[in-house]
Amino acid sequence: MSERRVAITGLGVICALGHNTAEFWSALREGKPGIAPIQSVDTTKLRFQNGAEVRQYNPAEHFDPSHTDLLDRFAQFALIAAREAVRDSGIDLTPNLRENTAVICGSCVGGQCSQDAGFVELYRHDRPRVHPLVIPRTMANAGASHISMELGTTGPTFTISTACSSANHAIGQAFGMVRRGEVKLAITGGSEAPFSMGFLKAWEAMRVMSTDTCRPFCKDRRGMILGEGGAMLVLEPLEAAQARGAHIYAELVGLGMSSDAHHITQPSIEGPVRAMRAALNDAGIDPEQIGYINAHGTGTPSNDPTETRAIREVLGAQANRSAVSSTKSMHAHALGAAGALEAVATVLALHEGTLPPTANFTVPDPECDLDIIPNQARRTAVECALSNSFAFGGLNAVLAFRAYPN
Amino acid sequence: MSDQVTQKVLSTMASVKHIPQERISLESTLQELGVDSLDTIIMLSELEKEFGISISDDEARSVRNVRDIVEGVRRLTNGAALNSAAAAESG
Repeated sequence: MSERRVAITGLGVICALGHNTAEFWSALREGKPGIAPIQSVDTTKLRFQNGAEVRQYNPAEHFDPSHTDLLDRFAQFALIAAREAVRDSGIDLTPNLRENTAVICGSCVGGQCSQDAGFVELYRHDRPRVHPLVIPRTMANAGASHISMELGTTGPTFTISTACSSANHAIGQAFGMVRRGEVKLAITGGSEAPFSMGFLKAWEAMRVMSTDTCRPFCKDRRGMILGEGGAMLVLEPLEAAQARGAHIYAELVGLGMSSDAHHITQPSIEGPVRAMRAALNDAGIDPEQIGYINAHGTGTPSNDPTETRAIREVLGAQANRSAVSSTKSMHAHALGAAGALEAVATVLALHEGTLPPTANFTVPDPECDLDIIPNQARRTAVECALSNSFAFGGLNAVLAFRAYPN
Repeated sequence: MSDQVTQKVLSTMASVKHIPQERISLESTLQELGVDSLDTIIMLSELEKEFGISISDDEARSVRNVRDIVEGVRRLTNGAALNSAAAAESG
């Protein structure tokens, strides 16, 4: 069976930069970070105080109370983003289409806030029991399951958890299923809600957190900032999208995956190189066609120079011409949702002909000698783009996108 | 009592790296001992617990050899408090 071209026809986002895709894109374009003092957790006992939380968020605006009881914050974000993406796609979910729709989500830690709250009851308040819904709220597949239940989709539905690469792996699997004709539609992305005291303390102990902001590729970068949110994309065969007159944002054209087989937290150069090369091969595109890379760009001392060297090795001379930015400088590192937020940012960069900047830029680092679009977005039409995700555990997933002329 | 700090740092490093303490000297670099970033954060966490101190990320990043760690712990600990803790232990 011949492979189908895969179109992206719907986008949905909720994160620190806004409650919908338009607000998200507006902040990215303006280079406005959503990083601020953390409000949902008392930070007086933490070594870092800043994060990228979803502000002015009221679940009651999105869910009725009995529904909210079932939903951890990460699943709420998954549903809100999926609703927007499906609405945006204009797709009519007929009974036949529902049976042939996949829902594939990424999440690193699922509903850990619900678990943390349950443990507070047990260990701090010495209560004999936890809330009976801790399990269904905590399970990492809750986001995917709730999307499926709400939309009535009954095709393949699951969650992938590969730390910071979760969403890219998820989107990649959905891409493959649509491309191979196994499903007619896919709703895919990721969501995360990492702000609990227990989880923030765990990140503090890793000593990778910035005490000010996230400055990827800068000489004075001090580490990462955690973010939360959800982002979803609607994927369908290009021909089907054209036939129904859908608006096509871009094409998803390649997936590259690899494992470093090296170290549980330290990045390697070889693993990312193989993942980026695999994405280019899968897409059938040359380095010279890559005008933009949305970098993994965590802002940690070790990621950014390693990623720089990997990009240089893959792109060769083209690395001096391609623009690279880390939008984590604005939406921060949303772990299992990161790849999905960045996929939406990359798709919109291609669609709008505007490359989002690396915000908070101060001083260049000679070890990160790429064109990182400092602080101000750039008006440039590019043909193809990559979006990188490199996870703890050495698991890499890279997506390749191509602009679609509407 | 400074020896107590040295001894504790050496024994913690030996325990974290699963190597004989005799292999570790004040001049040993972390690289020579095969101490990577993950070993370092575990070790510093153990020392924070042991001495009741808080080692900042900046201090943690500046550590290159065993002497850096010993001197860093000394700077952060209150000598008197350490003495009384040691006395209580030996008593």
